[in-house]
Amino acid sequence: MKISTASETISFVKELEEKAAGFYEELSRRYPEGEDVFLSFAKENRKYFNQIQRAYYSVITDAIEGCFAFDLETDDYALNTDLPEDTSYADAVARALALEEKIIEFYDVAADQSMSLMADVPRNFKIVTRKRRDRIARLKSLV
Amino acid sequence: MAVLEEPIKGAPMAKNYIGGEWVESKGEIIDVVNPATYETIGRVGISTKEEIDAAVKAAQEAFYDWRRTPPVARCRYLFRLGQLMEENFEELSRVQTQEHGKCIDESRGETRRGIENVEVACGIPTLMMGDSSEDIASGIDEYLIRQPLGTFGIIGPFNFPFMIPLWSAPYAVATGNTIVIKPSSEVPFSQTKLCELVEEADFPPGVWNMVHGGRTVVSGMLDHSDIEGITFVGSTPVMRDVIYPGCGNTGKRCIAQGGAANILVIMPDCNVEATIPGLMTSFFGNTGQRCLSGQTLVIVGDDDTFYREFMEKVTARAASIVVGYGLDESVQMGPVRDVKKKEKILNYIEIGMKEGATLRLDGRKATRIVGDYPDTCFLDATILEDVDPEMRIVREEIFGPTMGVIRAKNLEDAIEICNESPYHNGHAIFTSSGKYARQFQYDVISGNVGINIGIVAPMAFFPFSGMVGSFLGILHTQGKEAIRFFTESKVCIHRWF
Repeated sequence: MKISTASETISFVKELEEKAAGFYEELSRRYPEGEDVFLSFAKENRKYFNQIQRAYYSVITDAIEGCFAFDLETDDYALNTDLPEDTSYADAVARALALEEKIIEFYDVAADQSMSLMADVPRNFKIVTRKRRDRIARLKSLV
Repeated sequence: MAVLEEPIKGAPMAKNYIGGEWVESKGEIIDVVNPATYETIGRVGISTKEEIDAAVKAAQEAFYDWRRTPPVARCRYLFRLGQLMEENFEELSRVQTQEHGKCIDESRGETRRGIENVEVACGIPTLMMGDSSEDIASGIDEYLIRQPLGTFGIIGPFNFPFMIPLWSAPYAVATGNTIVIKPSSEVPFSQTKLCELVEEADFPPGVWNMVHGGRTVVSGMLDHSDIEGITFVGSTPVMRDVIYPGCGNTGKRCIAQGGAANILVIMPDCNVEATIPGLMTSFFGNTGQRCLSGQTLVIVGDDDTFYREFMEKVTARAASIVVGYGLDESVQMGPVRDVKKKEKILNYIEIGMKEGATLRLDGRKATRIVGDYPDTCFLDATILEDVDPEMRIVREEIFGPTMGVIRAKNLEDAIEICNESPYHNGHAIFTSSGKYARQFQYDVISGNVGINIGIVAPMAFFPFSGMVGSFLGILHTQGKEAIRFFTESKVCIHRWF
């Protein structure tokens, strides 16, 4: 689905972060060896959404192009969170890495598209991207 | 994306808020209609002269104590109000969309702008400071203090039902005055919701009052000897023929902001990709119903290739605008406020064509409404080419989602087109040249000037300017000018023997 407005982009961020949080909660249940890390990621995901939503609410004004800010295709950022019963720990971590790469890709594009329009929003997209890159290093260290 | 939940339920009555009490009007009751769904979402009373008199009396009675409340204490009420507005941000925004029709991003932007005015007014202990000078003569000192005047009337328009009264209200009460707000009766619920928060913030009864209604309330404000001044935002005929002379007749202070027919100038060196979203917001944002909307696009130069390619891009983008109910997050343009306004816009399109304009994009019938909504108040974006500066679609305010396109030989000609407009509210230029930008800013007659900005909306700490045809008065709403407007400068000269 194509999205153009700031409002639906923020809603899509929520959808991504919620889905990722649910995925990590599932990992924490299945793989006790990574429970603490996975639960902390799930908590962070919801924090990231709140951070971005707060930035949006703080800067949205009628003078900027909120309704015409983005040109995104949600299908490009579909997250695969299916986790078959027999998935090994290593494969589950690999799935998490793929999910993180996909979300980073989304934030990078969204930051570029909102650069001149939304003030604090691209900055927060980039902050989340940076933190997610750190997360990738942590995930890699798990296996 | 889903349609967000509507906050107004059960067709409530929008009551007056007088002296800290919610009072149902004894006047005629009319329906409030959601322009997107065309359903009645509530009712509002057209208040009587007795009701506006009661509100002014309550405000007058509250003034004595309120002006004696220290500014630092007065601003704490505003801090509380600001906090409550943040906590209710989403509901405030959705109310605007439900009663006005604008998109949810636009409503949230309106809410933010309103809050910013409250935040700026919270600086009143500093903003209200006077001046002093020691030894203006031997042993004599002189100083200036700013004092509140009494009760002010604030008359709001339909197009920004939440934000525009807040260009005045926080500054008026912060400086120690009391107020009576008259929202547009077409959109009474945004100010009603705000008054609920005023009540929750525990403002003393009578400091902040609201009376719904129409001409009777406006006349009641203009004629009332206990109203010291009025701020008004609305159409130019009402500003020029009713508000300004009405204030003059009774010696009231007046800020009167009227209509506009803004012109946006495109230089061939502009950043086209960055410019086009700005044009969409300017011409079609808020469905063209704002006094800072673009109405005419002037493309400078004789480069036919640039003109053709630029117009192809503008037309393609305008043709793809998603039209529908503003609570649907994918919608980029909502309906116009009511059927009469739609008919007026359609009439102007016909006039433009009769006068020689060519229809490049026909938006007279909304064909791409997202969702199952009646097309009663909807239009698509319209673009007219071969427009001449003398045409009525350039010189008169349309207040709808239309763009008339003129070609000009050079920047000087473009500026002349701007300056010969009867309105001077928010003209703008799009260019990569500092020289062109400075020349435009220097020579154009416009209260607000945009350089690569399509909606020249001043922040709360700057005045919302406006010039000839779009404004009558001296001082403007917002920021320091509002502080000046709502206070008397009293000069004291002291000598002690």
